[in-house]
Amino acid sequence: MQTTEIFSSQLPVGEILSIKRTRFEPTKKKEGAKRISIVTGIHGDELEGQYVIYLLAKWLQENQNSIHGIIDLYPAVNALGVDSITRGFPIYEVDLNRAFPGGKHEFLPGQLVHALSLDVQGSDIAIDIHSSNIFLREIPQIRINKEFSPTTLRLAKQLNCDFIWIHDAVTVLEATFSHTMNSLGTKTLVVEMGVGMRLTKEYGVQLLNGILNLMKKEKIIITDEKFEARKPFSSEVGDVFYLNSPTSGLFVPELDHCAVIKKGEKIGTIVNPLDGKVLHTLYAPNGGILFTLREYPIVYEGSLIARIFGNNNEKN
Amino acid sequence: MKKIEILKIDSLNRAPLIIEGYLFEGSDPDAPSVAIVGAMEGKTIIPLYTASKLVDFLKNGIDDSSKILGNILVIPSINHYALNINERFWPLDKTDINMMFPGYDQGETTQRIAKKVFDALEGYTHGIILKTRNDLSTCMPYIKLFQSGYEDLKDAKKFGFRIIHHKELKPTDTVSLQYNWQLWGTKAYSIICPNVNHVNTATSNEVLEGVINFLSKKKIIKYKLLSGYQSTIIRKPDIEIIKTPKSGIFIPTKKIGAYVAKDEMIGKIVHSLEGEVVHRIFAPCNGLIACHYKNALIFENAVAFRVVKSG
Repeated sequence: MQTTEIFSSQLPVGEILSIKRTRFEPTKKKEGAKRISIVTGIHGDELEGQYVIYLLAKWLQENQNSIHGIIDLYPAVNALGVDSITRGFPIYEVDLNRAFPGGKHEFLPGQLVHALSLDVQGSDIAIDIHSSNIFLREIPQIRINKEFSPTTLRLAKQLNCDFIWIHDAVTVLEATFSHTMNSLGTKTLVVEMGVGMRLTKEYGVQLLNGILNLMKKEKIIITDEKFEARKPFSSEVGDVFYLNSPTSGLFVPELDHCAVIKKGEKIGTIVNPLDGKVLHTLYAPNGGILFTLREYPIVYEGSLIARIFGNNNEKN
Repeated sequence: MKKIEILKIDSLNRAPLIIEGYLFEGSDPDAPSVAIVGAMEGKTIIPLYTASKLVDFLKNGIDDSSKILGNILVIPSINHYALNINERFWPLDKTDINMMFPGYDQGETTQRIAKKVFDALEGYTHGIILKTRNDLSTCMPYIKLFQSGYEDLKDAKKFGFRIIHHKELKPTDTVSLQYNWQLWGTKAYSIICPNVNHVNTATSNEVLEGVINFLSKKKIIKYKLLSGYQSTIIRKPDIEIIKTPKSGIFIPTKKIGAYVAKDEMIGKIVHSLEGEVVHRIFAPCNGLIACHYKNALIFENAVAFRVVKSG
């Protein structure tokens, strides 16, 4: 195991910004062995991935003889953001996941993502772990750009997640880590799970199993240990239904996240604490699995409350 | 002048956000029309100040309302909520309204705001967006036009600013107001204003004069003003980027808008704990200082200056 600095910058007052990567590799180089990079903390308020990387590093430490390929771990890309509860790059207020591929002559956030892209480049597989944001709780899911699904879908099914969401290509998303790395030939998957600023331990363990399962299938680790890979439901066989708040207020949920619900079922209410009145009652626009649920209760008109995966005849 | 409500959003704990536009109806139905958008984000003042002074000019500065030939809509602020608490973006989820166009009426809050604003802006022959730079630099006022295939460089010269930055289009620019407005048939221009939190009357008036010049030259208003500069169109190869190899306290010694000679000292970096000068910044070429870093504390390898090459 070796920890290396992939980017550093002397900050104005007595501190160095340092982005680190830890590499696990076999003591003797194996011919044809693959390389996987696990990246997290591109958004500073998303911490679920840090726990997954901790669990993975611990497993690798304890099973060093199983390591056949190269495993690179990048636990805190936006290190300043992670330590200051800031989603974007502090001061610049830039979403690093809209700044790829960056460049060495760009502003500091652009230089940082450029350094990350260069360092990950050459990996066979990359996994970018996100935790939604502070507003929404998500079940463990993989997001895949349709453009790259022919090569990434097979890998996504190994990751022990509950849902695979294949979305259309959107120009603005070309500035993301996953699009950049996929374009450079690294098969890159985006995981969304849990909620911002918090850890969901069971999700961490679930994804750890998935990553180990994928690495075993790809012969990056060789071990007799068995890893679970649950069969995910996929957006190929249904639709995603959105529920946005029709009004501003305090959202009080009625259901648990991840529940299987029927069309018309009550999801929650929007209330006004000032006068004790219910401003709006929210019902499911379709049956299916409630895979996204609002966590942060203050809402404005338009704030996302829930996403449901199902099909029109509710058989899903 | 008519005040029109463009959108209203309630809040649980704040007064409703009401975005209003000031519509000046023109006397000539054949004249071109223009919509001007002021502050889409908080923390800076010149877009808001310029738009509000334009309302004042159109209301009180023109002696005869028939001199307003084409319809003019001014929306001084879209993001009062951010301005009032010194936030840059939408205060709840920190999203940038200028990354939400053309908007979506069933989407998230800022997508809905963008949609209602965009609906109000549709159909104008010309559009002016008052903005500041997205990075941590401040600059002289200039026009930014994306290389989108819809841009009108000839008309952009009518503002009379010293430079027009003809900028390469990035993926994230495709959700900006300028790009979408152009896509929908309006000739749109972004005026990039100094990124400051105070009003410097001279520079602020320069932006206002640029807008008035444009309105006058496009015959949207009948008003005589001294012409501005013959604008120079610049692209990426025309700009020299000067980074600082050291972090610390940044002190520019040459002002924005100044011409500098190659090897002339234009700034310095002072060690933030020990006070000594750790780096001196010299101009790598002859040219005009168009932008510099706006904060006193500067990062290592941050862009300290942008110089438009001359000679």
